[in-house]
Amino acid sequence: MKNILVIISMILLLSSCHSKKEFKIPEQFPDNSIFNLTSEWKTQDGRIVPLKDFGGKINVAAMIFTSCRSACPRITADIQRIETEVQKKHKDEVGFLLISMDPDRDTPEKLKQFALDHHLDLSRWTLLTGNDDDVMELANVLDVRFKKSVENGIDHSNVIHVVDPAGVIVHQQIGLAVDPVETLNAIEKLYE
Amino acid sequence: MVYLKGGTYVPLYSLDTLKSIVKPFQMDVYPVTNNQYLSFVLKNENWQKGKAIQLFTDSTYLKHWATSWSLGKDSNKIKNAPVVNVSWYAAKKYCEYLGKRLPTVAEWEFAAMASETKANASTDSGFYQKIVDWYAKPNHNHTLGNIGGTFKNFYGIWDMHGLVWEWTQDFNSALTSGESRSDSSLDKDLFCGGGAVNAKNLKNYAAFMRYAMRSSLKAKYSVGNLGFRCVKDVIVH
Repeated sequence: MKNILVIISMILLLSSCHSKKEFKIPEQFPDNSIFNLTSEWKTQDGRIVPLKDFGGKINVAAMIFTSCRSACPRITADIQRIETEVQKKHKDEVGFLLISMDPDRDTPEKLKQFALDHHLDLSRWTLLTGNDDDVMELANVLDVRFKKSVENGIDHSNVIHVVDPAGVIVHQQIGLAVDPVETLNAIEKLYE
Repeated sequence: MVYLKGGTYVPLYSLDTLKSIVKPFQMDVYPVTNNQYLSFVLKNENWQKGKAIQLFTDSTYLKHWATSWSLGKDSNKIKNAPVVNVSWYAAKKYCEYLGKRLPTVAEWEFAAMASETKANASTDSGFYQKIVDWYAKPNHNHTLGNIGGTFKNFYGIWDMHGLVWEWTQDFNSALTSGESRSDSSLDKDLFCGGGAVNAKNLKNYAAFMRYAMRSSLKAKYSVGNLGFRCVKDVIVH
């Protein structure tokens, strides 16, 4: 019995021995870092945060709007697919950001409900909403195009971004239901 | 600035149900000049040539200026010409610095519908032909004329056509997938689109040109014939 316990604890030790990497936040962000944006955002809990608060870890980010019926749930599902893979190797080390492109309707409460509906673990996921101008600026930084359309819809591009700990976009997964292998590789590269 | 009482504007790509309501606003009479932009960067070091960061500008930002703080020996030639080679971020900051903002596409197009004599010249084929002729005319000496050199429209606004292209706040709402030449409909996986897109006024070739121009831009681009002007909301008492 004692031996079995020893073996089990050794297995546990070994399996927790993955390469947890500490990323440092640079004193000055690189020129092309999205953390140079000074805009402030509201989280699903109503907390006010600048983007640079997400520095120091890898983030996977996308712009969404919660009343979107077709692509947004799919883009969220695409990120969850990435999350599942990332969690296997780097448990709880990578952050997931969903930023609203529809700040008029996406209140913190709405975002919270969206998180609940999609079973997003809020220890890893953060949902953000802001004001129109800041949303437009961020969309431009992220190369996301969008336009108000019929029946309160928004036509928009589907892009998932990998943002390094200093705020530099290192990879963009463009389109829906794309095999995330390249995105995962981009994340792995940051661990090298 | 001049006052425009607003109205409706039908975007080029839209459904009938999607007329844009343009609320009353004020618009700069002229595009922003090199001289005006110079006084802005002198007070806002972050936006000087060589200091503005890569996130907000590309390598050709203000390339026609001699230094970060002067227009150089061509000063007299260009000081009253529209500033160009500025990014969307820079234009936005300039307007904000003055308590203004960039016009939306709807506002810009609304103001641009006016000819010298009519608020809405959208059925005037002669007016459109003039604009298209300007688009077709090559600019061999690569310099822009001074502001106030083209025509004053119905509202008293100068140079909406014929001098320089202009940034708009939501230029990135033009949804086309870049290289594709067959963008007759939205690419469903690249763009999430609820409604079919149809161009409204097929005769308005000039509007297509502007749409294409906008869809080719990224916010950090500097372009040698792309400038801007600002607008301001009208507070209704």
